[in-house]
Formats: sequence, C-alpha cells, structure tokens
Amino acid sequence: MMEIFEEAASGITNRYITDWVNSGKKVIGYTCSFLPPEIFHAAGILPYRLRGITTESMEISDAYYGPYVCTFPKCLLQLAGEKKLSFLSGAVISTGCDAMRRLDECWRKTGEDYPGSIPDFFHYFDVPHKTDPHAIQWFENEIRKLIRKIETDYHVNITEENLKQSISLYNHGRMLLWEIEKQRSLKDAKISGTDAFSIAVAGTVMPREAFNDALEQLLPDLSRQKSNPANGNRRIMVAGSINDDIELIRLIENAGSTVVADNICFGIRSESDQVDMDDEPISALTRHYLSNSVCPRMFGAYRQRFDLLKAKIERAGVEGIILQNIRFCDLHGSENGLFERDFEKMGIPCLRLEREYGPLTETGRMKMRIEAFLERMA
Amino acid sequence: MSIVAGCDIGSLTAKAVIMENGRIISSALLRSKTNPQLSAEAVMKEALSKTALSMDNIQFFVGTGYGRKNISFVNQAISEIACHGKGARWLIPGARTIIDIGGQDCKAVRLDQDGNVVKFVANDKCASGTGRFLEVMARLLNISIEELGGLSSRSTAPIILSSTCTVWAQADIIKYINSGHKIEDIGAGVNSAMAKRAAILANSVGIEPDVCMTGGVAKNEGVVRDLEKLLGKNIKRTRKADPQIAGAIGAAIFAMEKVNGRSK
Repeated sequence: MMEIFEEAASGITNRYITDWVNSGKKVIGYTCSFLPPEIFHAAGILPYRLRGITTESMEISDAYYGPYVCTFPKCLLQLAGEKKLSFLSGAVISTGCDAMRRLDECWRKTGEDYPGSIPDFFHYFDVPHKTDPHAIQWFENEIRKLIRKIETDYHVNITEENLKQSISLYNHGRMLLWEIEKQRSLKDAKISGTDAFSIAVAGTVMPREAFNDALEQLLPDLSRQKSNPANGNRRIMVAGSINDDIELIRLIENAGSTVVADNICFGIRSESDQVDMDDEPISALTRHYLSNSVCPRMFGAYRQRFDLLKAKIERAGVEGIILQNIRFCDLHGSENGLFERDFEKMGIPCLRLEREYGPLTETGRMKMRIEAFLERMA
Repeated sequence: MSIVAGCDIGSLTAKAVIMENGRIISSALLRSKTNPQLSAEAVMKEALSKTALSMDNIQFFVGTGYGRKNISFVNQAISEIACHGKGARWLIPGARTIIDIGGQDCKAVRLDQDGNVVKFVANDKCASGTGRFLEVMARLLNISIEELGGLSSRSTAPIILSSTCTVWAQADIIKYINSGHKIEDIGAGVNSAMAKRAAILANSVGIEPDVCMTGGVAKNEGVVRDLEKLLGKNIKRTRKADPQIAGAIGAAIFAMEKVNGRSK
C-alpha cells in the first residue's frame, strides 16, 4: 500500500496526474499551505502543491533570482523554465515569504523569455501576516477574488454546496492523516517517519478521493501490523524550512533515529484541526487557513508555534529536535535560533542544520552533523 | 594490556594514532589520498612502521573523519565531533570549549565537566573559515602554510579583508599584492579573517574555560592569538602531542575504552 504514496511523493508528477490530464481535466499548482485547496477541488480542478525536487541545475532561475536567494522558489522556476511543469493549466503564487512572492514576477518574466513556460491561468493570491479582524476580512476578499477568477477563466460555477462537499472530503483526509500521526508517535511506532512523511507529501499532489481511499486501506493494515520496536533509536522531531524530499527524513532515520514528529510545510502539522462545517464555507475556510499560524511568516505568533512544537514533543516523546533551514531562509533561520534557545533551556537537545533545497548533494556533511547529534544524545 | 588505534581520515589529511595502555606509542599524518581506504591504509602503515607491531596486534580500531565509514579494518566509526572532544580532553584535561579547524570544516564544541559533548556548531558548506582557506591564501602569497602563522607577529598594519568568501578574498589579496602591501600585513589580515570566522562559531556554542584548539590551524600562532583577542580568553596550548592529531587521539581513546569495557 505504501508504494502508492511513495510513488506520488518521489517525483514532480505521478500517474494520478497523468491520468487526470489525459482525461481532459485541469491541474492548478499553488505554493503555500495558507491557500485552501478545497476551492480548486470544488471547481473540479486538481490542486497540486508545487514542488521543486529533481531539479538538477539553476541556469535559468539564477538569471532571474541571483545566487543569494532560497533555492526552493528557484527550483520551481527552473522546472517551469525547462517546461517540466507543463501539465499545469494554472498556477497561484502566494506571499509565503519574500522569495516566494518574487516567484510571481520572476515566473511572469520567464514566461516572456521562454515561451510556453507559464500556464495560461496565473494568479497572485495575497495572504496577510496577521490574524486581526481587518486581516481576516482582507483574506476573505482574496479567497472570493480567486473564486471569481477561476469561475471566469474556467467557465465553472463554484457553489456553496460544492465547497461544502470539498471541505468535508478534505476534513476527512485531515482526520486520516491525524491517525497516521498517532501511529508514528507510539512508543513502538507502527510506521516510520519516512513513510509518514511520504504520505503527507503524497496528499498534496494526489486527487483527494484517491488519497483518502488509499489511507482508508492502509490504516487497518497498520493497526494489525506488529509494532517496530524502537531498538534504542532516538526519537526525533524535524522542524523548520519547507521540505518535500522524503530522502531528507530517510537520511535522518538511517543515521539511527526515528522521526516521530515533524513540523514542516508538506508534513503533518495541525491536521487535528477541522474546517467548521456548520459555518458558511468561505468564512469557515478563511478562519481555518489564516488562524493556523504554524509558519513563521505569521507576525507575533512565536508563542503559538512554540506551544505547537511543545505539544508534539510531549505527545510523541521527542528526545531531540533537528531544526533545519534552507540557506538564506530568514524566517526559519531566525526562528530556529529562538526555538534552539528555548528548547535547550528545557533540556531538549537541538541541532540546527542549514541546507540547500533540491537534490541532497550535501549528504556527507549533513550526515556527520546528524550522527554527532545522535551521539551527543546517547 | 591494550593496544588500540584511532584513524582520522579528513578531507586534506589522514591521521593515525597507536596507543598502548593509554600512552601514544606512535602516530602519523599524511596528505589524504583519492579514497578513504587508501588514506587509512597508508597512514596506518606509516604509524606501524615506527613500531614493532603489525595490524594483527591492534585489538580495536576506531575510525573518524569524513571517510570513517569507508575503512575496511575499522571496528567502530564515531563522529569527529565526539573524537575531537575526547582527544582535546586528553591533551588539555580541563578543556570545556574546543575550536577545531580542519581542512574542510570548522567546528566549535562545548563539553560538560565530564567531557561529554553538550553542544556543537559547524560551519556550513563554505571553504572560508577552514584550513582550505589558509592553504589557498598561502599559495597566493607564495609561502608555505607553516610560514603563514608567523606573519601576524611581524605585521604593523594588517589588511582588512572585505569578504571571507575564499573566492572573493583571493581577489582582495591579489589587489593588495599588486598595490605593494607587505606580505606580513596581508598574511596577518588572512589570519585575522580566519580568527573572526572561528570566533563566531565559538560564541554560538557559548564559551566555557578552558578553551583549546585542535586541527591543523591550531598550529597557526597568528590565528590563535587573534582568536584570543576576539574571545577575550586565553587559549590553552599543548605540548603533549600535535593538535592536528587530536581527532585520531580521541578515536584511539574510544577504542581503548571499548577494550577496557567502558564502551561509549
């Protein structure tokens, strides 16, 4: 059963996307976990969380971004320039951080210079950095603007009923993912961190119906399965910058640990929170997606994020935290310093790890640090 | 009686230490070869040649350094962070903060009272702040790496490098050479830039005395003195053994503990 998730998580495209596109249906890529994929689903469009893995060079994207910028948006731009994202009929860029916001301008320019590298539907979706009433109103307007644009450009009607059905389906997926989270955090975990992470990543690029069905089949298998004794493996939580590369988690586990929790964009963050089904759907989506201040892009919510990590540590019996960040990621780079200070004070060992996004070419360097960290905890 | 060995296969040099009952009876240091196995074989051969021993006499081998997992005769591989901590503690028993500058990376390690690693930081994927940086600069100045350390004390007006990026700093150095600056002042500027990078790491782990340095750069007196000024702390020197072989010493001590039943 795991093969379905691994296959979907291991490349920028997968057989579900191929089948979807071959049947004449549309795919829209998006860049940020603050964007509700339910909107696309309600329009009959496959939401696809944009990924940059498998990028081998930066010769296109470096020309637009320069060398001293986070490699994640650069990998996306490189793939777009190489026309490897041509299965997309649309893309929505958000202001996750400054480097991601600039992807909007850089991709538009790349589209002029490399014909065919930008999809027809290209939209900028703004996300406020606060959760006060004015910001909530603003975010709701952004959602309504996006809905109108999809309706106009794709000639569809996103009804309240469709949105409610999509929310219900996504809520069910969140609940199933939370079950996976419970299984991985058991004393003798039933699923490795690498597998749990593969599932979470697959969920961002698979049709939700197929994802939920596959999880429904996997979960009973897991509970019947014998537990994997921890065998002295250290229980690690991985947090920090965006990651969709399962090899990073595998590298950490192969060094002699089990990743029993994570707090990474693409990972399992706060799936126990459900979108309110009793409220009017746009209002419910607005509140759900903006109030989850799990990312340091949100202003003034450090304490909330610290408490989220603390709750995960307690629930999963985490013994050490790997705080990784992509080079030049100012948001996670600085927040990791605060987490390190505060968690070390509580007696929880932390390792700060800087890395590049993309193919794990630095495995030797990272392995040495991870192994030394695990030795320190021994 | 225990005869053990530690091998530290680094990016630039390979080091081996043979210990008998906790005493170093032989050591060797060679330039690393094209693969870790070849480096380890050569450096062990050299160390053994100074004794009447053969590989069969070694009861336990511990490997460390970047190539540690690829040495066939190693019984256990331990990270260089732990080995440098252990080795530094043997060289300077009161050591609590260790600044290790090797060929490929620069690390600061803080130990607790018992010598266990409490915290460490390593530079990230960059040649500046490493032994490689000094090698490149020495080559540019047409002097040996050993000579570079002595330049600081003879300098009257050290240059300031605007960048510690190895590539950009080279351009800076060429500019200073061409504008007629004295080699002492340029060398002192290089050592000072190196010390600044190491000070950032040392401050990040939090400095506890005694402070000591290991790795090849510990032999560069110019860097050590600049670092003392920047940290406001005395850096303990050792005459017990070459600080460049501290990692191999630590590996040999881990091997000895294993043989004596105090495994890590």
